[in-house]
Amino acid sequence: MVSSTIDHMVSVMVFLGALLLFIGLFNQTIQTAILYQRHRYLATKCSDLLDNTLLNPGSWSGSIPTSFGLQDPEFKQYTLSPFSLMRLLSSSGDRVYYDKTGKWYSNVSWGIGGGYLLLQESGCIDYLTASKLLGINGTYGFQLTITPTVNVAIVEDKSVTDHLRLNITVMGQGSPLAGASVNYLIFWANSTTGDLRANTTKTNAVGFVLLDFDGNDLPKIEVSQNQTAYTFIARVSLGGLRGVGYLSRETVTKAGNIIPFIESYENGTILLAHKWGKNDPGKECQGALHFNATFYVLPDNFSPIKSDVLNLTGGPWLVNYGQEKPFYAVQIPPEARNEAGFLVVTYWREDENEYEYGMVVMPWGIGVIGLSVVFGGDPRGQEWVATDVRQVLVGDIAYQAKFALWSLEGFGVVG
Amino acid sequence: MMRTIEVLLVIIIILGASMIASFFAVLPSPREVSPLNLRRLAFTTLQVLDVNYSLSRIVFMSPNDPAWNELQIALSACLPPNIIYNLTVYEVQSGNATELYRFKMSISNAESLGIASDAASYLVASSNVTFHVIPEKIGTSGVGGTLYILNCSDARGWWIAGYTAQSLAQDLKNLLEPYFKTTVMVQNTTDFGKILNNNTLQGEVVQNAVVINTFGEAVPIPTEYCKPPYSNGNYANYSYFLGQQVRRYNWTWASIVGYPFYYVSNTISLKDSQNGYGIYGMIKVDKPGMNAFLQGLDNEQYTPSSASVVGDVGVVQLSPQVLDSCNYYGIYPSPNQTSTRAIQKSILSTYPNLTVGLLIFDEKSGCYPGALYNHRNGTKIEGSLLALGLTRTPDIRLTAIGLLSYFKPRLYASEYTAANATRLVVLQLGLVGGV
Repeated sequence: MVSSTIDHMVSVMVFLGALLLFIGLFNQTIQTAILYQRHRYLATKCSDLLDNTLLNPGSWSGSIPTSFGLQDPEFKQYTLSPFSLMRLLSSSGDRVYYDKTGKWYSNVSWGIGGGYLLLQESGCIDYLTASKLLGINGTYGFQLTITPTVNVAIVEDKSVTDHLRLNITVMGQGSPLAGASVNYLIFWANSTTGDLRANTTKTNAVGFVLLDFDGNDLPKIEVSQNQTAYTFIARVSLGGLRGVGYLSRETVTKAGNIIPFIESYENGTILLAHKWGKNDPGKECQGALHFNATFYVLPDNFSPIKSDVLNLTGGPWLVNYGQEKPFYAVQIPPEARNEAGFLVVTYWREDENEYEYGMVVMPWGIGVIGLSVVFGGDPRGQEWVATDVRQVLVGDIAYQAKFALWSLEGFGVVG
Repeated sequence: MMRTIEVLLVIIIILGASMIASFFAVLPSPREVSPLNLRRLAFTTLQVLDVNYSLSRIVFMSPNDPAWNELQIALSACLPPNIIYNLTVYEVQSGNATELYRFKMSISNAESLGIASDAASYLVASSNVTFHVIPEKIGTSGVGGTLYILNCSDARGWWIAGYTAQSLAQDLKNLLEPYFKTTVMVQNTTDFGKILNNNTLQGEVVQNAVVINTFGEAVPIPTEYCKPPYSNGNYANYSYFLGQQVRRYNWTWASIVGYPFYYVSNTISLKDSQNGYGIYGMIKVDKPGMNAFLQGLDNEQYTPSSASVVGDVGVVQLSPQVLDSCNYYGIYPSPNQTSTRAIQKSILSTYPNLTVGLLIFDEKSGCYPGALYNHRNGTKIEGSLLALGLTRTPDIRLTAIGLLSYFKPRLYASEYTAANATRLVVLQLGLVGGV
């Protein structure tokens, strides 16, 4: 009787132990399957949201948009509006505060290669609003990155001192762009002259091209001691693929330099600010900084159309911090405001002995000089991030749109 | 002891079940769980490469052309390094070919695309091919099909400021000629007199024709009608006669702008008369003109009437039906216009046989700013009037879209099967590296 009872007890205990072990094993398999299912759903959602964003022009009129989308309303398929992209509140660079206006500016580019794109935040759409308009606020986080497919790197060769030499390297995502046609524009200015030259060349087998502005085939440009400033823009094309790059010779003169802020996207108002705030001029800044600003519309044929900016401030074209002229307001003319283009600002300091020149460029529309845009949250530290990518066009420049999506509700199956 | 053996047996059974379940419950690899949408990536890559039709140009080139190398470099450059590809071009066969697609060329950066790949296809057409839209001809399935455009050199227009009747006539011809079996420019009032008497000018069918008066508020008058009884009532009787002829031949008379039948014009027979504003060769009929026309159209006894039948209603909007037609026919006048001569709705009670066949503009303030009216005899239509009571200057696209919206000729897209003119580009992408 006792042995039978013990037999029962042992067998029941062994059975229960085995049962628990197997339940755990099955549970593990089921949990993993559910997680996989959720991850797959996230990937599908990511692909859908990316298409929704890229294939919908959205509604950008008014201060509060009623739908979010980046498609160019004048084109079909995956062609994006250069202006909608410009109005995404950038999450790539630190926000910029300009204490002379008391406003914050979205920082798409702060002086990268002498290019600035700082748009007042009230003219931008922020991450929270975009999340709400996409219907994912509180449930998913996302980051949208729009980067040029072709990287056109332009570097000034400092080893050459008697003239300007530019080294251009053209790289695709997976390989260099060999034999690509390079159309370029160069604007330059110094104390005696200022000019614009357009020309064409080709990259070699490794996607490289060298340009010597030494007075032989190309005009002589001397940049030593900041005696000449220039803005160089190159458009590369091969087999239907197009990219663009730029370099502007931004120098910090003894009187500082100039930073363009887009004060109002709607009105096309640009503040040409004497270095201050984040761009503090410092004690070394002396005297007035003269400048000239010209807007160019850049159509698909890469032939810039000059358009004189309107002088809103009035008076001479100079900024002087000590004389309470910290910035100067200009306006892009209304007829040019709906066209993608760029503003070239040439500034100089002069005294009895020397001139110092500098130049900055500000694109009007993403894609004109090949800037990238990063918009949304930060995917770092998230448990699982799904990504998807599309090839898109901004104007006729090839870009890649990458969308990263993660869940804000967690993926826990138990507990 | 027996119990323990039984339990062991049960454990063996459950273990077996667990192993079998694990064997069949194969979980996908992480790459399959959260995949890149390679199909979309391939499609957008092809679209980017076809910007400015570059891809369309290259795929029609000979396989030895250096442009293929350029395409391969561009393709490699625009795809991430971990993506391998195969781009294949097929010629689309037409006619009685046994195979629909014939291989032409392929470029790739890998021997195989692995087990997880996806593809997108893109159809491109040669730049040598032009595509046509062939419109259905009005009158093809019935009677009529003639378009008369009054282009009389011996008449003057009114309320068409900024244009001449002749320039308007030419624009209308360009717009509407494809939609009619025959288009006849009526070059002078003598020819106009001929068609008013059912005589053809170029062998066309007079019955059921559309007559567009490009002279605005003035109507050309042939010399033989510049006398009594047509000149009675300041030529209102001539308008009555026009109404009768429109009914008799079942014409659709189109007045492109302003107050219809307000003047008559003939620069030869009426050369000594002026319309009150110093324009010679023109006589002001005034308001009785429109009333007389409607009486003629309605087959009533002519009774002189100076009552105004129009109103000033300001800004008006194209009707939804006409807006749809704008998209269909690709004619886009401004949807908002100003109407100062909108015909009052009350004419439908004055002339009970008159019905609205098409509202070109939405009704406003009891008026029809633009409409096509049918005179009905029972169910049969006997004559129509298209009246656009807009202010000057005229937009002849409104007349064109009004007529097309009413007659609804269909548009036939030409076939997309021109021989050797179409190629199918298939881009297949695969992922390498990772798991």
